[in-house]
Amino acid sequence: MSKQVNLTIDNQAVTAAEGALIVDAAKKVGINIPVFCYHPKLEPAGMCRMCLVEIGRPVIDRATGAPVMEGGKPKLQFGPKLETSCTTPVSEGMVVITNSEKVKAARKDVVEFLLTSHPLDCPVCDKGGECPLQNLTLAHGPATSRFLFNEKNHNAKHVPLGDLIYLDRERCIQCGRCVRFQEKIAGDPVIGFYNRGRQMEIVTFSEPGFDSYFSGNTTDICPVGALTSADFRFGARPWEMKATASICTHCAVGCNLAFNVRREVGGKNGSPSKGGIVIKRALPRQNEAVNELWICDKGRFAYQYSESPTRLATPLVRKDGELTPASWDVALEYAAEGLLGESKPGQAKDLLVIGSGRLANEDLFTLRKLAEGAGGQAALYSQSGGGDLLAQVGAAPGTNLASLGKGSVILVVASDLHEEAPIWFLRVKQAAERGATLIVAAGRPTRLDRYAKYVIRYAYGEEAQIVAALGDSPRRAELVEAAKPAAAAKPAAAAKLVEAAKPAAAAKTVEAAKPAAAARLVEAAEAFGKAENALVFFGSDGLGQSGAQSVAQACAQLLAATRHVGRPNNGLIPVWGRANEQGGWELGLKAANLQTALQASTTAYIVAADPYGDDPSLPAPSFLVVQELFLTETARRADVVFPAQAFTERDGSFTSGERRVQRYYPATPALADCRPDYAISAELGQHLGLKLEGRSAAAIFAQIATEIPAYKGLTYRRLAETTNATAIGAAKDPRDAEERRCADLYYSGAGYENTQGLGVQLPLQTLSPALSKPAAAPAAQLSKTGLLAVPVTQLYDLGQTVLPSALLRQRIGEAWVGVNPADAAEAGIEAGAAPAAIVQVVLPGKPEWRAAARIDERTPRGVLLIPRSMGLPLNAPLPGASIRPVVRRDSQEAASQQPA
Amino acid sequence: MMMLKDTYSAEIEATLAKYPPENKRAAVMPLLHLAQRENGYVTKSALYEIADLCGVAVTEVASIMGFYTLYHDQPGGKYRLQVCTDLPCALRGANEFLEQLCANVGVKVGETTADGMITIEAVTCLAGCNKAPMFQVQTGEGLEYYENQTVESAVALINDLVKR
Repeated sequence: MSKQVNLTIDNQAVTAAEGALIVDAAKKVGINIPVFCYHPKLEPAGMCRMCLVEIGRPVIDRATGAPVMEGGKPKLQFGPKLETSCTTPVSEGMVVITNSEKVKAARKDVVEFLLTSHPLDCPVCDKGGECPLQNLTLAHGPATSRFLFNEKNHNAKHVPLGDLIYLDRERCIQCGRCVRFQEKIAGDPVIGFYNRGRQMEIVTFSEPGFDSYFSGNTTDICPVGALTSADFRFGARPWEMKATASICTHCAVGCNLAFNVRREVGGKNGSPSKGGIVIKRALPRQNEAVNELWICDKGRFAYQYSESPTRLATPLVRKDGELTPASWDVALEYAAEGLLGESKPGQAKDLLVIGSGRLANEDLFTLRKLAEGAGGQAALYSQSGGGDLLAQVGAAPGTNLASLGKGSVILVVASDLHEEAPIWFLRVKQAAERGATLIVAAGRPTRLDRYAKYVIRYAYGEEAQIVAALGDSPRRAELVEAAKPAAAAKPAAAAKLVEAAKPAAAAKTVEAAKPAAAARLVEAAEAFGKAENALVFFGSDGLGQSGAQSVAQACAQLLAATRHVGRPNNGLIPVWGRANEQGGWELGLKAANLQTALQASTTAYIVAADPYGDDPSLPAPSFLVVQELFLTETARRADVVFPAQAFTERDGSFTSGERRVQRYYPATPALADCRPDYAISAELGQHLGLKLEGRSAAAIFAQIATEIPAYKGLTYRRLAETTNATAIGAAKDPRDAEERRCADLYYSGAGYENTQGLGVQLPLQTLSPALSKPAAAPAAQLSKTGLLAVPVTQLYDLGQTVLPSALLRQRIGEAWVGVNPADAAEAGIEAGAAPAAIVQVVLPGKPEWRAAARIDERTPRGVLLIPRSMGLPLNAPLPGASIRPVVRRDSQEAASQQPA
Repeated sequence: MMMLKDTYSAEIEATLAKYPPENKRAAVMPLLHLAQRENGYVTKSALYEIADLCGVAVTEVASIMGFYTLYHDQPGGKYRLQVCTDLPCALRGANEFLEQLCANVGVKVGETTADGMITIEAVTCLAGCNKAPMFQVQTGEGLEYYENQTVESAVALINDLVKR
């Protein structure tokens, strides 16, 4: 524990950690010093002057170093001027006065200054009602202004900073929270100040404007209505809306959300809700162990799919070759008959049940029960693998990325966290900035590299070997030996690994780089072995199911060998593509090879997954039941389609990649005839002659808690527990108890205190002895013919849950393929063309696909990067690929061909 | 498009060489001067080029340029006459001076004369409060200070500048 300092604030004795700021120390005893520019997650700036206080410090006798006494008390020296409490750290014996006439007068003047050119347009401002400037003006400001009304500066009021965020220049008070957030927290300095004085404004020069995955957070922390999101702008007044706690479904981080809803006619995006409750915006809900106060723009702007007008509203049954609406009874009956076929009730033997990580724990558990009961097989729809290991080596309970710093190591393998899980990117980056050693092992450069102490490059296909080399010293020795210039000519396997570090460089450079790369690997391995705490993230960059399985295996063995298992802040974190893939693995579903699994089944029941959309070549079962939100490619092929409720319409729980079980709550009423997934599955089960719990998510969770050891003892009530100990001041005005928003000035109105559950991390099983033994890493099996096409993830893709968001759609961009300049030259494709050259991508056994070539060194030699869910189904690395030019889309050339 | 690299590769290399490679951002300001020498103002493409050369975000380069009144993001006259209108100067009549000067020359603050020679701008603190009204002239080669000015002396100077 750090050294404690005693001071007095407004006659109250306060003890605070050395280095704490006065404004935070005051909060501990319930004194809210007003602030605009200060934010506890940002470095203090002292820009707004709102937090001025009187500060007295004990006079120290220079000769003795003891405080000078006066009348039995230490003599105090007050500064001649007021000081900013947001930049001044506490010191021993300090006396702070926050409520004197002098301080009150200063606050009044500061507000008067801030409002000199403020338009005071609260009645039409989106922030009105949850605006710190409005609140603090009422609390501390003057009723009138001495400035001349006609001298107000008038500025542009609708400046789009890109297509997601709008700036109202008149409302901005130049606090710089947004600029500091982008620079320090997001590491994306794409907005900045321009000009100075009264002309100062926020600008962006990035292409596209405000090009950051975290841009929406600036609208939350903006203490005025200057930054508003295109999604919520002019959408509703804060007091009209209710908040519902939820969990983001877009990746495995499990960010805590709050949905703001209100009743209205129609709805945005042509939502089918007529006079019903609609979602107006998604906001972060504070969870210091998960997402702190932030969410990424995908989580904020891609919830619309739940309100899309293209949602399925009634059950469909295939009649005369066409899917036609039917009643639930008819559809369930028909589905059960089809799945049972000739077999007896409860014995649909060749049934394959597929569920995805978009489903809640309760749904997946019910699916497994159904498959088991019917004698079929249940599979998790996932392109990744290795989830079965996490019950032993997953992140141990108590793990919190925020507590990692000096002495900790974070290894990120095969993941571009910025694209796959932006909030983890942000938190890993921050841990590295606090002093944690970051090792990034990837096949290509990623944005995390710049924060890493060790960057290790491997050739795609050799991920597991590199991880094994980190934990296995003989292997490393071999590697170093191989890297010595004299031995470099030997075709040792290890030499190849090192060679991979510099694929694009000339052969000579490779020779020179080898010892450096090997030394880096050895140093990284030593750092990992010696670390007090070590966390490993593994993602899906360039991996398929089996690749991910071996990487996970290698990571698990590395953690076991270095004893980084079973303690808080240690373990393996999978960067799954969906919110609840971890729940699937925990509840006994496994990722299956669908090609063989579907081949072996005569009937299938596919829930919340679109395998035929992702890979049209999969074999078709003779009878197919699909449960979905949309009429997907898979649903189009079905014999029966059940319309499910979106996660915003029901309750349930997810298990995050960190194995945190978190609850979400219904935000809006269900659409039409839709039912929750677990209820549909349970009813279908009943029609198959099985007895399944389907009355409520809570009842199923109770069953999970009794049957699944990891969930033992968990209840919905425990998941809903919160503590007061948040990083942001806990003291609050009791009058705000009802209205949780604005309870704390730091929330700035937008963003929510967590009152509905922090979730619970699952305990680990004991380590199986098999994992403790270092196993030989599997050799790379990838053939060297042609180019190697590898799947990579980009955050905004053409996925079913992203497309309905009109805002993000513009950011998805066109389909692209990453090509190394040398490979492009060999294929006769010109680099540097603008707009990018279109190429034909030819993969063995796949439909031909056209995409814009991204030709640069970010793609290693001999590799094609294929983004997932962008039109070309590729679930695993595939050798033998090639590219050829199509047309050069050069606008100048096109123009020159036109008659003059 | 003309790149700075094409014209000034030696100067750019010399500038970058002055700073450690991990602190290339230190070269942003000298490179902005270089870019401004080329066109009399910093073009948008120069911003992108400097960002690229120094390995910083283009918005950061723009912020730096925007902060200083000696950098310009718009084309102006051959000579930029920058009048300080900060508080102490204003107390000594800088605002009236600026107003009358503009009226005499026939432009508004921030505008350029029709012959493209003179741009009159209002700027903050030039560190000559006690000798206000005062201004500086940015000539492209350097800065010239003129203190204790009257509208007549300023107009005379402008006539000289035009003939220079």
